[in-house]
Amino acid sequence: MGAPIILKSFWTETKKNFSLLVGLFKASFISDLEFRFNFATRIITDIFWYLAQVVTFEVLFLHTPIIGHWNINQTRVFLGVLFIIDALYMTFLADNLDKFSEKVRRGELDLLLMKPVNSQFMVSFQRVATASLGNLIIALMWMTYALYQLPDLHPLRIFWLIVLIPVGFSTLYVVRFCFSVVSLIFVRGENIQFIWFQLYKLGMRPDSIYFPWLRYIVLTILPVGLIASVPARAILDPPNWPLFLWAFASVPIFIWFSNRFWKYCLSKYNSASS
Amino acid sequence: MMNSLAIEAQGLSRNYQTYKKAEGITSSIQGFWKREYIYKQALKPTDLQVPRGQIVGLVGANGAGKTTLLKLLSGLIAPTGGTAHVLGHAPWKREAIFLKRISLLLGQKNQLWWDISPLDSYALLTRIYDLDVIEARKKVMELATLLRCEHVLDVQLRRLSLGERMKMEIIGSLLHSPDILFLDEPTIGLDIVAQSTIRDFLIRYVKSKGPTVILTSHYMDDIAQLADRLLLMSQGSLMYDGTVEEFAAQADRNLQLLVRFEKDFLTEERIGLDFVLPAGQREFTFSVTPKDLAVLMSRLPQLGEIVDLRTEEMDFEGVIRKFLEKESRVL
Amino acid sequence: MISNLEYRINFIVDALIQPCITTVVEIVLWMAIFRGAGTDMIGGFTREYYLAYALWATFVARISTSWLYEFRMIEEVEQGTINSLLVRPLSFYEYYLSQMLGYKFVTTIFSLWIPIVVGIYLDLPVHLDRLPIIFLLIGYYLFLVHSMSFLISTFAFYLNKVNYFTSTKNLALWLLTGELFPIDLMPEAWRDFVLSLPFVSGVYLPIGYLTGRIGFGVFIQGFQTVTLGLIIVNVMGYLLWAQGLKKYSGTGA
Repeated sequence: MGAPIILKSFWTETKKNFSLLVGLFKASFISDLEFRFNFATRIITDIFWYLAQVVTFEVLFLHTPIIGHWNINQTRVFLGVLFIIDALYMTFLADNLDKFSEKVRRGELDLLLMKPVNSQFMVSFQRVATASLGNLIIALMWMTYALYQLPDLHPLRIFWLIVLIPVGFSTLYVVRFCFSVVSLIFVRGENIQFIWFQLYKLGMRPDSIYFPWLRYIVLTILPVGLIASVPARAILDPPNWPLFLWAFASVPIFIWFSNRFWKYCLSKYNSASS
Repeated sequence: MMNSLAIEAQGLSRNYQTYKKAEGITSSIQGFWKREYIYKQALKPTDLQVPRGQIVGLVGANGAGKTTLLKLLSGLIAPTGGTAHVLGHAPWKREAIFLKRISLLLGQKNQLWWDISPLDSYALLTRIYDLDVIEARKKVMELATLLRCEHVLDVQLRRLSLGERMKMEIIGSLLHSPDILFLDEPTIGLDIVAQSTIRDFLIRYVKSKGPTVILTSHYMDDIAQLADRLLLMSQGSLMYDGTVEEFAAQADRNLQLLVRFEKDFLTEERIGLDFVLPAGQREFTFSVTPKDLAVLMSRLPQLGEIVDLRTEEMDFEGVIRKFLEKESRVL
Repeated sequence: MISNLEYRINFIVDALIQPCITTVVEIVLWMAIFRGAGTDMIGGFTREYYLAYALWATFVARISTSWLYEFRMIEEVEQGTINSLLVRPLSFYEYYLSQMLGYKFVTTIFSLWIPIVVGIYLDLPVHLDRLPIIFLLIGYYLFLVHSMSFLISTFAFYLNKVNYFTSTKNLALWLLTGELFPIDLMPEAWRDFVLSLPFVSGVYLPIGYLTGRIGFGVFIQGFQTVTLGLIIVNVMGYLLWAQGLKKYSGTGA
């Protein structure tokens, strides 16, 4: 009896959130069109970020044939996965989660909490940075190039790549979200956000470069290794079923955890604000 | 059975914790590890019952606890002690079913998006509150007509004047026809014309839809004209709970009588027991009830030639200030 | 100084935790590179040289990069809160310079012991006697960092959303200072170009000299390029500021 009801309410909520996301996307797009200049500046800024990543590995590979388990062709694919997930992150999450502590300070969070919607969803996806969709195009172009220069591409593995990219994105979301909402407890925690960036850096490198214990940590407790390394493995290595299984299972676990954490931080916030 | 009370609170209280800010380098370094915390009682245990459809005006000085009470009842913060039921829900659980029935309007914050038109924002609110698109659109036009602002509905919010923006915010907060409306300083910072437009609108809206309203305002006109009931807060407690008229009557006699005679009085005169007209003066001011007034009006002409005679009603703001002054003397 | 200390968590994160994590990431990367390379030397240097470089580069990069004060300066120009400073452009420049230098000073004192201790523990090739002179260069470079912040904040007179310039600039510097990898690993033509820019004084020159990758002759050139950079950036900054003020008061805002 219980399960169908839970499923049904889950379905209703998903449907509502999807409709909301469409609404938020529309509103954001209208708003972004006001500042057309943004579309250009965003891309220019991020091209430097892509360049930094690409140049680093290209230069390093001038001096070594293999880093971790991967050669230069494979590392390019890894970067492609990273760029795609990062572009999705920049589009849907970065603006919301980067400015979260500002929203708290300005009291805008209070207004969000008063809305009859899932507050975690609203806080995470309120503003869509449609100007960053250009990044997604650049990322896809790089990915196409990276796959094209790969000597042994198995078409079937592209399927695994496509299903694991959302997994990587969800992981990225959960870690970033938890870091943002800490500012409900420490209102002046701007620098805590920098820790997030450092951690993300761990995920921006192939997991195979880490010592076994560190690799274990980045794949489990600090799951930044799941962001890009696991989807990249899907296309570069033969399927590693236990790893894939863990990657899939981790999504509901981590999202559930983030929701608990959100509620905990909110209760702290409620007892501190005036 | 429908509960006829919209809001019911028993012993509701709320404390805040802050830390003492250290001065100087040494104490700053000490504060690095150790902090002294200070507890402040923002709302002392309070009982409150509000029937459905009542308009409650909440007044008090800054820091008196108005906003705390408003936030507790709307569910933004949880109480430290006591209980509250708003429309049968514990507000701080913020269940969607509860949030759909209330609305919180904060005079100094925008819920609408800055860079898009109000109409685009309303479309988003329509999704948020699961409203019917056509009905919601109709409601917007209806409210906009009442507020006389149809012409700015499709202009980006940031291009609007403060008054227009507030009107847009009001439409946004009424879109889902809330049963309870929490209005925190809805007219703050607006010019007189905008203030009165919004006030008139609220009066009409409340009359036709009958929501329960909790209103805070620095402008006593708002309260005097809108509220059925007045709650006066000071230092975290309710100091007064009653109608606006009763309050005015209780707080002070509601009329001032000014009289000027042609010549100074040579001897002291008395009218009844309460009113003394000392010698050597020709001008007198009395605080009088309407009943006193009749007596005075018949006696005064007998005492000499009257040059000027006026009555003035004490304004509401003055009454509250007097009341609070009296209370703080007691405290 | 007092206000710096008050944000205790922020401060610990900024001065200690952040560089520690970055260092671990960088060191781990270099270990993996040497494992894959199957050789003892890359570009003529052993693994220890790279570990020493990675260890110190992140700490020094924390000191020679500025986000916070640049954002604040931009914000002031954007919001026109500089009204009170309008008449005296130098006080705006000096005020933030002293803020930034003060913060950098405290951060340095708090975090410097970590690479020293770790370097000694791992027995890495570090010439600690060269610390005073490398900090002289870094300190000098900070004036350039501040001048660039000033220059970018003057853009706010003419454009909105100037924050993007900060992000773009700092991302470019990420590569050009040598924080990501030692500049000498680049192909020769690139290397010579990057070395001719003043930005290498932020990380590569001081750390290269400290860890023995480069000689005194190369190191000392940093003072020249930074001087040149200071002149160019400040002249531009001054002109844009003066123009901007005219425009600003012209609109009567």
